[in-house]
Amino acid sequence: MKIQVNEQALILPNSMNLEQLLVHLEKPLIGSAVAVNMQVISRSEWTQYNINEGDNISLFQAIAGG
Amino acid sequence: MLSDNELLRYSRHLLLEEVGESGQHKLKQAKVLIIGMGGLGSPAALYLAAAGIGHLVLNDFDEIEVSNLQRQITYQSSDIGEPKVEVTKQRLQQLNSDIKVRSINKQMPEQQLSMELTMADLVLDCTDNIATRQMINKACVEAKVPLIVGAAIRLEGQLMFFDHSQAESPCYHCLFPSSEEQTLNCSNSGIIGPVVGTIGTLQALEAIKYFVGLPSGIKNKLKLFDGKSLDWQTFAINKDPQCPVCGQA
Ligand SMILES: [Zn+2]
Repeated sequence: MKIQVNEQALILPNSMNLEQLLVHLEKPLIGSAVAVNMQVISRSEWTQYNINEGDNISLFQAIAGG
Repeated sequence: MLSDNELLRYSRHLLLEEVGESGQHKLKQAKVLIIGMGGLGSPAALYLAAAGIGHLVLNDFDEIEVSNLQRQITYQSSDIGEPKVEVTKQRLQQLNSDIKVRSINKQMPEQQLSMELTMADLVLDCTDNIATRQMINKACVEAKVPLIVGAAIRLEGQLMFFDHSQAESPCYHCLFPSSEEQTLNCSNSGIIGPVVGTIGTLQALEAIKYFVGLPSGIKNKLKLFDGKSLDWQTFAINKDPQCPVCGQA
């Protein structure tokens, strides 16, 4: 399955949900936020969202500095 | 009614149909609580005082350190060791003696914050750690006070606006549910001054727009700023139905 993650093309070996994607990419689960096609998906919904072909996924961290 | 001095001072606002005399009067009535007087709070407080926001409450508990001066533009070398809120208050009163400025030189416990929110129309979160950000968010949700959140590290900025006067508004916790200090801040990651200044300046712009009644382009949205490319990304934030802070009680 072909998707975009932070504007880079990525081929997924199998279908997965958002939480599995973060694990697959070795991203921290704590402090991360995920958006699909510019819509933030809440942490509580990561396991329910199954990634679709062509999804444009953005991963970013909470930043605290000020 | 605005005085002759005010008509002159705010003449560039009065020329705008988006502000005008009625908008300036709304700014004069406005009460804003700014929490954090660092790289975000410095430009935000200066711009809001200059714009004639009638009541500003400044909160921080830090003293000015030499490493602050690279980005916290309210302060001068001679201010090192002084409390940030006191120096800022003095600067703002020198800038605009028509406005009222109050300072709170301590880390406010939840109860005091809630009490302050009963007197605030709007809060700017200009703080530097997640635990405080979560506490401010929770208090604003409970008090139904709109919250403009800014954050920056390295060459990256984040900006969001949650109008908690609206029951259906999402909150900071819907976006970032963690309060663990794994997050990045200026002292462990570094920051370039104009990046944090850009975000603080935009918090002030959104505050002014809110009071004069202009729609916000960032309500229930997260804006990510990339200081390298100067690109912005905009993400929609929905209420998390499971959110323990803003979800159904
Ligand atoms: Zn929430």
